[in-house]
Amino acid sequence: MSALETEVLIVGAGVLGAATARELSRYKVDVTVVEKNVDVGWGITKANVGVVCQGRDTLEFRPEYHRTRLLWRALPLMEPLCRELDVPFKRVGAYLMIRDQVLKEKLDKLARRTESLGLGSDRYYPYPELKEREPFISPEIKGGLHDPEIAVVHPVYLTQALMENAVANGVRLMLETEVEGIEAGHTEFRVRTSRGEIRARYVINAAGEWVDRIAAMVNADDFVLFPIKGYVGVLDRNCAELAGSLLAVLPEEPGDMNIVVPTVEGNLLFGIQLQINRRHDRSTTDRMARKALENARRIIPEISEKDIINSFCGYLMFRNFEIGWHECEVAMSARVPRFINMTIGYPGVSASPGAALEVVEILEKDGLKLVPNPRFNPYRKDIPDFSMLSEKERKALIKKDPRYGHIVCRCETVTEGEIVEAIRRGATTLDGVKFRVRPGTGRCQGGFCGPRVARILARELGIPLTEVTKAGGASRQVPLRTKQLLEEGGGDG
Amino acid sequence: MASRVDVAVIGAGPAGLAAAVAARERGAERVVIIERAEQLGGLLPQCIHNGFGLLYFKRDMTGPEYEKAFIDMARSRGVEAMLEAMVIDLDAERGITAVSRRHGYMKIKPGSVVLAMGCRERARGALGIPGTRPAGVMTAGTCQRFVNIEGYMPGSRYVILGSGDIGMIMARRLTLEGAKVEAVVEIMPWPGGLIRNEVQCLHDFGIPLLLEHTVTFIHGEERVEGVTVAKVDAERRPVPGSDRFLPCDCLLLSAGLIPENELSCRAGVEIDPVTGGPVVDQNRQTSVPGVFAGGNVVQVHDLVDWVSWEAEAAGRSAAAYADKGRLKRADGVRVLPGKNIRYVVPQFISGKDDVTLHMRVTRPGLKATVKVGGVMWKRYRTVRPSEMVILEVKGQALREAGVKGELAVDCEIRGGD
Amino acid sequence: MSPRETVICIGCPLGCRVTAVTDRKGTVTALKGAECKQGQKHVLEELRNPVRTLTATVRTGDESFPLLPVRTSRPVLKVMLRPIMRETAKVKVKPPVKAGDIVIANVLKTGADLVATADWPAPGEGV
Repeated sequence: MSALETEVLIVGAGVLGAATARELSRYKVDVTVVEKNVDVGWGITKANVGVVCQGRDTLEFRPEYHRTRLLWRALPLMEPLCRELDVPFKRVGAYLMIRDQVLKEKLDKLARRTESLGLGSDRYYPYPELKEREPFISPEIKGGLHDPEIAVVHPVYLTQALMENAVANGVRLMLETEVEGIEAGHTEFRVRTSRGEIRARYVINAAGEWVDRIAAMVNADDFVLFPIKGYVGVLDRNCAELAGSLLAVLPEEPGDMNIVVPTVEGNLLFGIQLQINRRHDRSTTDRMARKALENARRIIPEISEKDIINSFCGYLMFRNFEIGWHECEVAMSARVPRFINMTIGYPGVSASPGAALEVVEILEKDGLKLVPNPRFNPYRKDIPDFSMLSEKERKALIKKDPRYGHIVCRCETVTEGEIVEAIRRGATTLDGVKFRVRPGTGRCQGGFCGPRVARILARELGIPLTEVTKAGGASRQVPLRTKQLLEEGGGDG
Repeated sequence: MASRVDVAVIGAGPAGLAAAVAARERGAERVVIIERAEQLGGLLPQCIHNGFGLLYFKRDMTGPEYEKAFIDMARSRGVEAMLEAMVIDLDAERGITAVSRRHGYMKIKPGSVVLAMGCRERARGALGIPGTRPAGVMTAGTCQRFVNIEGYMPGSRYVILGSGDIGMIMARRLTLEGAKVEAVVEIMPWPGGLIRNEVQCLHDFGIPLLLEHTVTFIHGEERVEGVTVAKVDAERRPVPGSDRFLPCDCLLLSAGLIPENELSCRAGVEIDPVTGGPVVDQNRQTSVPGVFAGGNVVQVHDLVDWVSWEAEAAGRSAAAYADKGRLKRADGVRVLPGKNIRYVVPQFISGKDDVTLHMRVTRPGLKATVKVGGVMWKRYRTVRPSEMVILEVKGQALREAGVKGELAVDCEIRGGD
Repeated sequence: MSPRETVICIGCPLGCRVTAVTDRKGTVTALKGAECKQGQKHVLEELRNPVRTLTATVRTGDESFPLLPVRTSRPVLKVMLRPIMRETAKVKVKPPVKAGDIVIANVLKTGADLVATADWPAPGEGV
């Protein structure tokens, strides 16, 4: 098999890889993205609360940090980007709150810094006024500093949209393609993958959780990653009224990250219970779940265990910089020319549009010719969301395609039309459909629609139901036919 | 819709079918069932086991047989049905918005509405089971649909969390189909389902029932590889050091049913926080005039026969409402759950007419006495939370006792189980 | 049969735990724990001759309705449940089938027929 040749190879289709691919698709550059998972945005991008922050919520984001500059650069880009890609962006605002009046000083300092940097003027609301704006907050809260700019996005939707748009503009995406080894030559890299060799002039390492392993393949790992696991709980939509903004408590102990935050879809998330952990282990634990709930109830006492419909764990990746934990890097490796590491970790979603721009600049500086792609189209239309449409729009949609009149998921009001469209756009698994159009994310968690979504997947992909997976690999949902075990001699026990 | 609908029934399970038949029998001209699934019957077609109809038909029937009996009745009474039609909104004036592939976007304003949406199973998220998120975790009911209707099996080695009836029935079903069921794990000190199911589904096949145990961790990256189970203490918290690993490729959940009331809430129907269903009066009228409810949407029953019975009451009342444009509330007396009683349905009674009270006790016991205020009492040799207590109260007794305002129902329990 | 065996009576919701004491020949000599006569009868029957109604499915070969639900026309000996299950994997029914139709007559000579419990094809949509 002859090797695939490409100018720029991006390793990883998380939010950083996708943003970079999309930014590069503005130019006539041959770009290939390889992703080991069966879908895009399933690494650290997926288990994320989706907050778009400015880096003005903590003093640790010092102006001289690369990360801070990256965030400032990225921020004005995020809303227009979401508009171009037709993905939800909700400016919810945030209250950075204190429970101890002594900490008010810290908030004042933050507010002064924000003002002096020309980022805006954040106002402090003492408890009685704060309660008028967020009626469910605990009386334990003394007050909060309001940052009106904070927004939320859905990190996976954003990644899918970026990648879809990049592919529409000519980028090559290879899923289930794991990088196994990289050899650095004088003019190109020879990259061994599970789907054959790829030769590339540039390699952009956007492997997220595994960025150090990929870097180590060419000796470009002049850093160490510290993974910190974070637990997040998801509340039913009927709790939406409990918080209209991101409610965060100013850390009282190092490592505290206590927040309640609305999602673009109207659920509330709470967490983030942190724990140093070995990587890849995404399991939730009872201890983390209890702590997170306890902490959330200290923000909003009405949050109840019975309203938790889901929970997940993700990772914040920190890098060992001498100058501080809150630093990151988007740079060409000092040891390996034409190899670019993107080690952002947290907050990668917020920084992604800025980081993508930086990569393009690095490539240009290194001599990559950036001729504008005349066919570049920045716009992408989202899958219609039946549940959000007006009566008139719904009628028109059903008339055009009756499958939009067939509601498969009752809890989230998801139609067959949306599911079929999600599959057309690249969903090949149950989670792939779920992370595009949400069936099974509501109260019943797929109890009713699970078998029906599986059937639609099998039909659209032309595969037997036994081959439909939850998330690729061995995760087949129903691997056996009824009676198969009897025929194989089971049931004698 | 072409012409006026007298009674619209939401849901075509046993409750919806019974309500529709009863509404027609009570004289409602046009009765339409709106059902989200592809066929009538709700969950009955997948409940291929027997044990249905012993009270209603005095016969031991399977789910499909019970379903067929009601569908035949519905057909002969001229009930109409719209399938694959989802009601997406119900307003306080009985306005229904529904969509379907065939009928498109529909607005219906019936004379009255019967809520018959049934209930759903508690999912993993709601149970908060720690661990990884592999394939092979599903509710017992979803598994039942796959195995009995779709013809697929999610695995060959199972652990079942929760000893609800569906879980125990699936334990037997899967065993008979050649799979291995390692254990049924129940957090409470008593089984969640009927005794007959414990005997015929678990004991018959030597399937261990681990009482006062729970699943504390799910293992496996892509597929379930096993679960950790542990003993629990009196607070139902895992006892440290009691945990052990059970290998399996599937974890089924059968740990509670929740009435499906999102539509009820949209209409502004008052919900009883204990039952999770609408607060209803003796006629099964909810707090919204002209909106009635029956079956598992009101309270989770353990026998389908009682679902049919309750839904018939709702259907008859709905027909009466559609006819006159009103139905006086039978809410003279509020029934309150007292000692050892978790809930009583209906929550309101007239205080003058005969009424059947459905209730659940909070704990099992022997030699129990259920007392309905000063009106009457009845002895039971045994009571269990998993078995509904049903008590007929005569209108005459209520009238003679001069019951007004509130009526407390208590259960005196003498012995433990 | 072991000299002492405990059976949970399912004659009524009471669910008595009844212990049967047997002699060497296997004859029940005493029953302890049954609250009623009916229960004693049930337990004796359960010890001597435990029978169950089997419900299962058989294949149709039609992907839109792959399985037809079936039951035994009367209770069969408990030990026959698994052998009959293996029989259900061997047959394939042909339409049309009406509820009550015999799928396997006198299955494994138990005296019970395996009968359909649903119609296939189902009567037209709606009612």
